[in-house]
Amino acid sequence: MLLNYNQLGRLKYVLLGITGVICLFLLLPVIFIILLSFGSSQWMIFPPPGWTLRWYVELFADPRWFEAAFTSFKLGLMVTVLSVILGFFASYALIRGRFAGRGFLRALFMTPMVMPVVVVAVALYAMFLRVGLSGTWLGFVIAHTILAFPFAVIAISNSLERFDKAIEDAAILCGASHLEAIWRITLPSIRLGLLSAALFSFLASWDEVVVAIFMASPTLQTLPVRIWGALRQDLTPVIAAASSLLVILTLVLMTIAASLQKVLNR
Amino acid sequence: MTSSFLSIRNLKKSYGEVVAVDDVSLEIPRGEFLTFLGPSGSGKSTTLYAVAGFDEITSGDILLEDRSILGVPPNRRNIGMVFQRYTLFPHLSVAENVAFPLRVRGQDRTTVKKRVDEMLSLVRLSNFADRMPAQLSGGQQQRVALARALAYDPPVLLMDEPLSALDKKLRDEIQIEIRRIHQETGVTILYVTHDQEEALRLSDRIAVFNHGRIEQIGTGEDLYTKPATRFVAEFIGDSNFLDVASVADQSNGRACATLPDGTVLDGLSTHHVTRHSGRFELMVRPQWLAVAKEGSDGIRITVKDVTYLGDSSSALLETGWGQAIWLKGPAATLRGLTAGQTIMVGWDFAKSELFEI
Repeated sequence: MLLNYNQLGRLKYVLLGITGVICLFLLLPVIFIILLSFGSSQWMIFPPPGWTLRWYVELFADPRWFEAAFTSFKLGLMVTVLSVILGFFASYALIRGRFAGRGFLRALFMTPMVMPVVVVAVALYAMFLRVGLSGTWLGFVIAHTILAFPFAVIAISNSLERFDKAIEDAAILCGASHLEAIWRITLPSIRLGLLSAALFSFLASWDEVVVAIFMASPTLQTLPVRIWGALRQDLTPVIAAASSLLVILTLVLMTIAASLQKVLNR
Repeated sequence: MTSSFLSIRNLKKSYGEVVAVDDVSLEIPRGEFLTFLGPSGSGKSTTLYAVAGFDEITSGDILLEDRSILGVPPNRRNIGMVFQRYTLFPHLSVAENVAFPLRVRGQDRTTVKKRVDEMLSLVRLSNFADRMPAQLSGGQQQRVALARALAYDPPVLLMDEPLSALDKKLRDEIQIEIRRIHQETGVTILYVTHDQEEALRLSDRIAVFNHGRIEQIGTGEDLYTKPATRFVAEFIGDSNFLDVASVADQSNGRACATLPDGTVLDGLSTHHVTRHSGRFELMVRPQWLAVAKEGSDGIRITVKDVTYLGDSSSALLETGWGQAIWLKGPAATLRGLTAGQTIMVGWDFAKSELFEI
């Protein structure tokens, strides 16, 4: 190895220090918001003068918060399913197909990821207004699927690329039809790729706010949109409580994914 | 036409302008171990894949027991195949891998279980039934692949360089296993390799491929002792090709050649001389050459280098006209040679084949 950690001597402590500062920098806002959500000050004074669960009680007492969270969750699931299915078909064509314009198509699939989100949001909003999809579930699902799709394509393409086509051929020679070979051999073999595609797709929708603001209607609001709206009305620590729950669910999902990967990798 | 078990007739496969297989015909009897031997890009794998059915062929026909299989999709051809790369299904155990083709065929649980046990004991991996592919060595993986390919009793087994990813020692071991399994099952095997030693060891017959065509087909001994083309002579065993200045006919199909240094050699074989180009080379195996007494028939050469190889030694020699040739022989007979020495070497000229170039 070029740089051996154990041979760094005193430099080791410098390195440790820098790592610590970076971790703190990344984690501080999250820790800050979680602490505030338990603080007793109505004005979110830091450090909190006392501790309370009041904001959580208020959060759960207000059905609008629960509704928003449930909307986010349902939307996330629908986006996940669509994005993984479309992502698999697209990836299969990109990796296994032999046709002109594959490189172009691949780049095209990535555009929602590199385009400024605001541009995507305004464009979709303008189009959805014309076709009557704005403020509807369908519009919301389509919009978020567009954002999630590149993540699914990346994750699934990568695992398909590493999965030798000869294995699929072997299954076909064994007597399986092409579809059967994909269903019984290819899909289970790339399940890690599918899982991370699902996870990233869900998260792409779950914590997305810009497009969601344009897609939302007074009756159809995701959790990030609700937080955003509440922030603009009044600065209550209930928002901190809601945000904390959002962060925690994300963390839980990541942990589940990581441990699933460990199990499947064995 | 006589009915052989598997027959490939005038097979042609081109990719756009590139002709990968050019008019290949083969008649293969039941139970034969036939090897396609040739350099990469010679069309041997393409021919094998045509039998497997993955690619549409350009023209020609492939018949199994007198019925064309061209219209049959690969999953209905009932053909077994072991690939060059490891192709075990990574998410299934060894036993489940071998069971896969049987399950696809809808066989019941007990039949499948019995067959899987049989197959695993055939490849001597019964104790590995519950392992996952990632826990096996390369050699073990290929043996499981072999068991899987044979599980459904295919009439033909295709093997596409199955041992090329393994190291030498393991290769030798598995070659013996493959021979044994061929003898025990009697399955017809088409085997692709670029390794002549492997081909000689395993096969009943060898088809030598070059530029999409079969240069010669025959037993290993045929190919070695009676090569039909210069390419075969070069590919099977080691060969020297001496420059020839001119050739004069003799009676009884033999010829006499004059080498560039004026040496005249009598009684050479001319099976493959058409006299189109008028330019010739003389094939001499390094093992045929031996140090000769001064004044006997042979050529005068200068010793350049002698290498000791254990059982044998090899010597790099230079002819009077500056061509480098090899001599190989028992270490004891070459012990006296030193670099710079000029000696006579001779051989049995009747074995030596003239090739037109």
